[in-house]
Amino acid sequence: MSASTDDASVFPPRGRGALPQPQLGALLDFARTGVGAVARRVGRAACGLILPAFVLAAWCSAAAHHWVPEQLLPAPASVWQSLRELWAAGDLQSHLGFSASRVAWSLAIGGSGGLLLGFGMGLSRTLRAYLYPSFNVAAQFPVLGWVPLLIIFAGIDEGLKISAISIAVVVPVTINTLKGIANIPPHLLEVSRVYRFSLAQVLWRVVLPAAAPSLFTGLRQAVMQAWLALVFVELLASSEGIGYLIVWGRQLSQPDLVVAGMVVIGAVGVLLDLALRWLESRVQRWRRAAF
Amino acid sequence: MQRRTLATAFSALALLGLTSVPASAEDKPTVIRISFPGAGTGGRPLSGGSFPSNAHLFKEIDDEFKADGIRIEWKFFPGAGPALNESYANGLTDVAFGHGDLPLIVGRATGLKHRIVLSSSRFGSSYFVVPAGSTAKSIADLKGKRLATFKGTAGQLTLYRWLDKYGFSDKDFRVISLDNDSTKAALATNDIDGTNITPFDLQARGIARSILEIRDDPKITRPGTVWVGEEFEAKYPQIVQRIVTRLVKVAYWSTQEANREKELQAWATSGSQAYVDYKKDWESVSDLRTRINPLLDDYYVASLKNSIEETKKYKLIRKDVSIDGWIEPKYLNQALKELKLEDYWPQYDAEGKLKVDGRKLAARN
Repeated sequence: MSASTDDASVFPPRGRGALPQPQLGALLDFARTGVGAVARRVGRAACGLILPAFVLAAWCSAAAHHWVPEQLLPAPASVWQSLRELWAAGDLQSHLGFSASRVAWSLAIGGSGGLLLGFGMGLSRTLRAYLYPSFNVAAQFPVLGWVPLLIIFAGIDEGLKISAISIAVVVPVTINTLKGIANIPPHLLEVSRVYRFSLAQVLWRVVLPAAAPSLFTGLRQAVMQAWLALVFVELLASSEGIGYLIVWGRQLSQPDLVVAGMVVIGAVGVLLDLALRWLESRVQRWRRAAF
Repeated sequence: MQRRTLATAFSALALLGLTSVPASAEDKPTVIRISFPGAGTGGRPLSGGSFPSNAHLFKEIDDEFKADGIRIEWKFFPGAGPALNESYANGLTDVAFGHGDLPLIVGRATGLKHRIVLSSSRFGSSYFVVPAGSTAKSIADLKGKRLATFKGTAGQLTLYRWLDKYGFSDKDFRVISLDNDSTKAALATNDIDGTNITPFDLQARGIARSILEIRDDPKITRPGTVWVGEEFEAKYPQIVQRIVTRLVKVAYWSTQEANREKELQAWATSGSQAYVDYKKDWESVSDLRTRINPLLDDYYVASLKNSIEETKKYKLIRKDVSIDGWIEPKYLNQALKELKLEDYWPQYDAEGKLKVDGRKLAARN
């Protein structure tokens, strides 16, 4: 960081007598300095809040003026109240627990499947030639399309839910793994050949670190997909889970439950994403040290 | 330029909004929107099993208002009673032709305003059905297993009453929500372990079997309800009277033994139950007036109160529901008087026992 002569933090404008022209320039420059940068970041974060605030205000007034029947659109206060009641009764935690375990199983199954496929196709041209066209076609189907077919093989119980979510997970993990490996700079592999690395060494020292950013992108996408697919499959034949809570609320004309469910899904989604970003930055700390 | 098109579009929308506001101060509507809390198999716009279904199937209401140029818009909801509530909350329904107790009460608890004008059905048998390959012989054998009911509909309370009768609660099972079509499919694939459904067709096809049945128990099933939206009633009381009178007339027709076959066959066209289901389910009903009964008698009122208590007990509503000013029998009484049917139907007491026998019919055959 360098300070110029008209930098506001170094040469603050003197008193009110200063001309408006340089004052404006000083202010603009001030924004470029440390304090300004913080303010700018806060400002940018606040920008993100404008739309939600606007939506919330519209929602409040729509509920207060009964623009939409209360049987269909609940007041924000009643959503907040049912969230608190659900929490106090332990229902929210238990529904969330069911949903989380479904997501965890699917991430484990779908994620490892995706990694295997991705690494397999990424490392072996033969395998890629055999599998990629089929995978590419299958990847185009939305989870919704798989469900009727899956019901035949997996029934309507946990099997259906976990296999449907796993399918949603496999696709982004495979694609991003594949991409990560394909994009490894060739000179890195050449260097490894020069050093006569074994396959294990190539994988561990070259492929994994080089593909890591892409792997994490895949993982993050997978978690988001899993969470979205979860809600969809829980709408079918469930007796627990956050998706079920939404259906239940609708059946009993308690739209506050529906919105409460949506709020929870959104919040958990954001939390998961933040957690993964944090993990990614931890794991890839070496990159910053290296460059 | 673009802004102008947008403005034009908005003003066009606003105009549309203005013109679609119903003209007030008219004594007849241009359309009456009548809803059934259900649909035939695969969403077919048909209903069966009650005299209001007959009013639709035999075009009675359409005929009633044809001369006035009033169109009848029939609505059928695969989402059943809860979907009917949503439709009414959205202002898309004027009259409901038979709402089950649970969605009716849930609707009232959330502030929907309607008047009960007559009852659509009562009693009826209930069956506990398991997949054909199941070894279960009693409800106790199914403990911890998966039971299906269409949650939010009257069927949910019926199932809970079954469980209660045998000393269980819904917590002893995994109760999932499935509609009628899906329940049949799930029985076939063994995806559920038990449910309440009319079993005869499924039994004949080797898909399921009934392990228990309760015939016409007033404590297990509850009457259905025909209601009119409060706003509609206030605006068009004469129209409401004509609908009710015509319905009572249809109810009378439906209780004639000579019409039994005709109506059973008509009901089966909806496909939600097969002909054999209706045939066998109604075999034990020697006098059709026991089930096809529009009265709002002591039994009806007590049933509604009991259902409200149960709904509260199972925490399915959060606000209390009062029946004050909910039941409006004047249209029914007028219709009975006009059609000289005041003593035709049997009346039941709060316990569901016969209080006043119906009119003696001429001996059959």
